[in-house]
Amino acid sequence: MRFITRKKVIIISILLTILLGLVILFSITVGSVKVGSLRSITILLQSILGLKGAETETERAIILSLRLPRALLAGLVGAGLSVSGAIFQALLRNPLADPYILGVSSGAAVGAIIAVLMGLSSLSIGLPLASFIGAFLTILIVFNFGRQNGKMHPNTLLLAGVIIGSFLSALIMFFISISQKEELHTIIFWLMGDFSFSNPQAVYMIFPYIFLGFIFLYLRARQLNLILSGEESALQMGVDVERLKLISYLLASLITAASVSVCGLIGFVGLIVPHSVRLIFGPDHRLLLPSAALIGASFLIASDTFARTLLAPTELPVGVITAAFGGPFFIYLLRTRKVVKTL
Amino acid sequence: MRIQPQRFLLILSLLLSLWPSFSFTANLKFIDELGREVAIPYPPKRIVSLAPNITEILFSLGLDKEIVGVSIHCNFPEKAKSKARVGSYISLDFERTISLKPDLIIATGAGNTREMVERLEKLGFPTYVIFPKNFNNILKSIGHLGQVLGRDKEATGIIQGMKQRSQRVIELTKDLSRPKVFLQIGEAPIITVGNGSFADDLITLAGGENIAGKEKEMYPRWGMEEILKRSPEVILISSMNPRGDYQRVLREWSRWKMIPAVKNGRVHLIDSDLIDRPSPRIIEGLEEMARILHPERFMRQ
Repeated sequence: MRFITRKKVIIISILLTILLGLVILFSITVGSVKVGSLRSITILLQSILGLKGAETETERAIILSLRLPRALLAGLVGAGLSVSGAIFQALLRNPLADPYILGVSSGAAVGAIIAVLMGLSSLSIGLPLASFIGAFLTILIVFNFGRQNGKMHPNTLLLAGVIIGSFLSALIMFFISISQKEELHTIIFWLMGDFSFSNPQAVYMIFPYIFLGFIFLYLRARQLNLILSGEESALQMGVDVERLKLISYLLASLITAASVSVCGLIGFVGLIVPHSVRLIFGPDHRLLLPSAALIGASFLIASDTFARTLLAPTELPVGVITAAFGGPFFIYLLRTRKVVKTL
Repeated sequence: MRIQPQRFLLILSLLLSLWPSFSFTANLKFIDELGREVAIPYPPKRIVSLAPNITEILFSLGLDKEIVGVSIHCNFPEKAKSKARVGSYISLDFERTISLKPDLIIATGAGNTREMVERLEKLGFPTYVIFPKNFNNILKSIGHLGQVLGRDKEATGIIQGMKQRSQRVIELTKDLSRPKVFLQIGEAPIITVGNGSFADDLITLAGGENIAGKEKEMYPRWGMEEILKRSPEVILISSMNPRGDYQRVLREWSRWKMIPAVKNGRVHLIDSDLIDRPSPRIIEGLEEMARILHPERFMRQ
């Protein structure tokens, strides 16, 4: 897929949005409790139109207060992680890059764990807030260390991220070793990535970061393409390379911070979705970014749906599913198609 | 290698200090609740308890100065708080334990680890393990400890009292219908009590029906959907986290007004020390639970 036209982007985006819609519908019809597919969809449509049908209060609660907010949250996080993963992979020119590579996730984890140890519930807004603050502070520290002479070198940034990430991991281990049994459960599930105790209100909190971040990055998609083919040539073409890199890193980190703060460290999404999308649609960011967002959203919603139904009534953390399915699927992709060389 | 005389003397005296002294007490062999044979100097005069329920049982049998060490979680009775601390359920300060020179260490199969017990054995400390799994087992464990500690009379008294009180609860609730009960011991994730846990046994004895009672896991993790489906009539929240804000937990439940328990205002806090700790106070937990489940039958004294 070499020639990306605006029409192509729009058509593919519409198709992927339809896919996303279907995945959302699938997700609200499936769960540990049997509410018939038709009935679930009816409840959803009726609530949008403001009507009320014959279903029970319990069924309404299950569909509208449990499954739908969870699907929307999972979709938003999936989109966020995929987009930021794509950006990191491009800017760091490293196929192993994922949203967590710069240590932002460890900062988020420390914030969340401190909140848990202080007795804050994961259902309150306090825990995602503390997590976001932790991530944000980490971004500041890593970026401070990652700049040399006012320039952002990928390797320096990576090193700074990895080192600070390791230090924060040590802090995490320390906190785990002093926490009580009850807190441990929450902490471990958060570290694996879990939606089952996230606050549905959190969607409103993280939506601005993820949506605006995506828009900003999408508007600079062409410039990002130019940077990929070489920073000198991009400079010659008039791209303010340093400023763009700084803004892109910052936005991608903020998107990651927002995503991780509500559900913990879900792995693999930010790594395999951008790669898979690149393998199918090519590395042009004008198509890559929206496709990664939509496919990432669908992927995470589907994974979370499996996570909460596979061993019903026990709910698995979604991180288990993304790791279990993500890895082998990616190997399959690698074997059947060539890995894109532009990275 | 030449052995220096000072070092030799040091090692010798170290070995001698660890050697249990046989001179004043006889060693009796007991079989503990895991089937292990334990030789204990009888009656034991220096006892270390590795769990809060054991500490409570020891104090209730009339011991006090004999108790030389307890776990960090031991919070009842008040006197337990001033005893030397030897560690948690899973992490034991072996140096501290050795320095206390116990005759007998008592552990619980539900909490302390096998590695801990084996290591204590290797160090030469008689370690007696109890493992009560339901309400009736607790009575038996109290009896066993009474034998081991030479307090048979006190143990019998306690057991009789507990039997009488539990019989009274069963009698009073015998002919009442059993409300569906959901007991929450964890918030994120939501954890409840299934078949095999003390709390589950208590719910049944108190005249209730645990909606998770048929789950094979002892502490099942459920999503909210499952709870909505099973529509409990009473929700009990166990106060396990000392730093938790339980008023907030109660408010969180009020979102789900379609649950009968929430609609009828039957969401209650219950002290986890009383319902999940296999000690003499579990009878108080049983009575508290019966009061909550069948308020019309139980008047507060």
